[in-house]
Amino acid sequence: MPSFKINENILFISGDLKTDSIKSAYTEFLRIHQRIPAEPIILDLSEITSIDSAGVAFLDEIKLITGKAIHFINIPDQIQQALDVFSTAGYTEKDDSLEKTGFFETLGEKTFDLFGKLHEILLLITDIFYWSFAGLFQKGGQRKGSFTQQSLLIGVSAFWIVALISFLIGFILALQSAAQLRQFGANIFVADLIGIAMFKEMGPIMTAIVVAGRSGSAISSEIATMVVTEEMDALKTMALNPVRFVMTPKFHAITVTMPLLTIMADLIGIFGGLVIGVTYLQLSAAAFINELLSVVILKDMLTGLVKSVVFAWIIVIVGCYCGLKVKGGAEGVGKATTASVVASIFLVIVADSILGLIFYFDAPLY
Amino acid sequence: MDRIIEISNLTAQYDGETILEDISIDIYRNDITVILGKSGCGKTTLLKNILRLYQPSQGKIKVFGQDITGMEESDFDQILVKIGVLFQNGALLNSIKVWENVAIPLEQHTDLPDSIIKRLVQKKLEMVELPFASNLYPAQLSGGMRKRAALARAIAMDPLLLFGDEPSAGLDPVTSLALDNLLLKLREFLNMTLVIVTHELSSIRRIADRIIFLDKGKVIFQGKLKEGENSDKPEVQQFFNPTGRR
Repeated sequence: MPSFKINENILFISGDLKTDSIKSAYTEFLRIHQRIPAEPIILDLSEITSIDSAGVAFLDEIKLITGKAIHFINIPDQIQQALDVFSTAGYTEKDDSLEKTGFFETLGEKTFDLFGKLHEILLLITDIFYWSFAGLFQKGGQRKGSFTQQSLLIGVSAFWIVALISFLIGFILALQSAAQLRQFGANIFVADLIGIAMFKEMGPIMTAIVVAGRSGSAISSEIATMVVTEEMDALKTMALNPVRFVMTPKFHAITVTMPLLTIMADLIGIFGGLVIGVTYLQLSAAAFINELLSVVILKDMLTGLVKSVVFAWIIVIVGCYCGLKVKGGAEGVGKATTASVVASIFLVIVADSILGLIFYFDAPLY
Repeated sequence: MDRIIEISNLTAQYDGETILEDISIDIYRNDITVILGKSGCGKTTLLKNILRLYQPSQGKIKVFGQDITGMEESDFDQILVKIGVLFQNGALLNSIKVWENVAIPLEQHTDLPDSIIKRLVQKKLEMVELPFASNLYPAQLSGGMRKRAALARAIAMDPLLLFGDEPSAGLDPVTSLALDNLLLKLREFLNMTLVIVTHELSSIRRIADRIIFLDKGKVIFQGKLKEGENSDKPEVQQFFNPTGRR
């Protein structure tokens, strides 16, 4: 363990100044340093037996603790060599604290930032829509079979999870309402409730939430990884438009598969309601279906389908945007994926509210 | 001479394929030993077996005189504290800043006060000529800078043994020369032993004391650099004199 000795204005350090003894040396120095009267402090290093980089860092730290000028004397060769090897060239870091921005400056920066982002999103939307329609009439620009591949990934693979969730939603919705309807002898109206709820609301939104969580995150992480690994740059150097090559097939695939998934979700959800109607409310299947067909009109189904297409576009555009804006490496990909799922689900619900209001005011009076 | 690593009859397999077959190697204290050979000859596998990242199928590996093949995890951790490793791609943690990366071993394995750790980290970053990078994230650095930051982390604890997997790959000649000089300086001052895997002939000639030449999972030459350069083995000759001119 190193020890300190003060003789007039000279401080003698003896022993090993190595990583495992620095803590005790540091504590000891904090205890004694105020007893050193003079400035500059003269530090005699002749009795230091060995030193490593932590020891040199400790000698540097002494200057900071005392706030006084320090001169080393009687430096053995080995210690001098260490001081040379681990010397600090005097690099000082920029003090960012002096450059604090004011409230209005921050507000202005954030506003510009927001407008910048909106501008980028608008450009991306334009690009995706342009290539989705214009690309249909031009040859090349994307791989053969990419639409089928993306449809399988985004739509078909999501079928079972969408089916299970829709069945459970229909089942629970019917079960919860059945108890109330029974009290009024209105058992048959469970078919009305399930039919309208599934077609207009629950089918599209539950499908969108599952697809946003499952396929939206996959879109975002795939694109983010491509950005991080410079695959997007590679596409550009091959004179390929990344939007057309990578994003358009996803856009086409989700536009086709989301409405199909939604129709299946509607039907499976209604089947869940039918199970409760038949087993718990003692309705016949025929009565349930007759009631359902009498109340559900084509517009209800179309409302759901329009919603599903809008939700699909939100999911794919948000996924692509978050993926493209990735910063950093693996961690950035994770952040982009999370941001994409959160933003898609939020925007899907906002869009659902807006569309719900539009279709509500446009609804016929029963 | 004092042997710091002794490998005897090591056989290593990966995915059922034999990568290293019955090799025996000695690495001496304070030497810079360079492991050479064509791509896929087992250089990195050898390094990973010494570091116990892979388990050997057969054979014995002694590091600092202790057999590490059957050693308890906690005992091997004590050995790892004295070892620094510079991975091929740096392997810095992307989610934290450069200085935090370099500080990890110091925070985890020493009781140094925070102020000393910060100072020490800055010193190590200056040694690798990255004093400005402490508050940056690894993703904000170029490939060469990332490698130098990774070297700063590898030498944070003043290790006795430093492994480097292609340290100068991807670096410009000036930075590569500076890195070699730094490695020589570290060896001299810290009595460090270095085991380097590299293909860079100029770097090998600058730093190597001894070379180990691997071919198809076997050691075909080990000895001093000069002996290697004059070896009559065709594979070694071809490596040091690819154009065939003398």
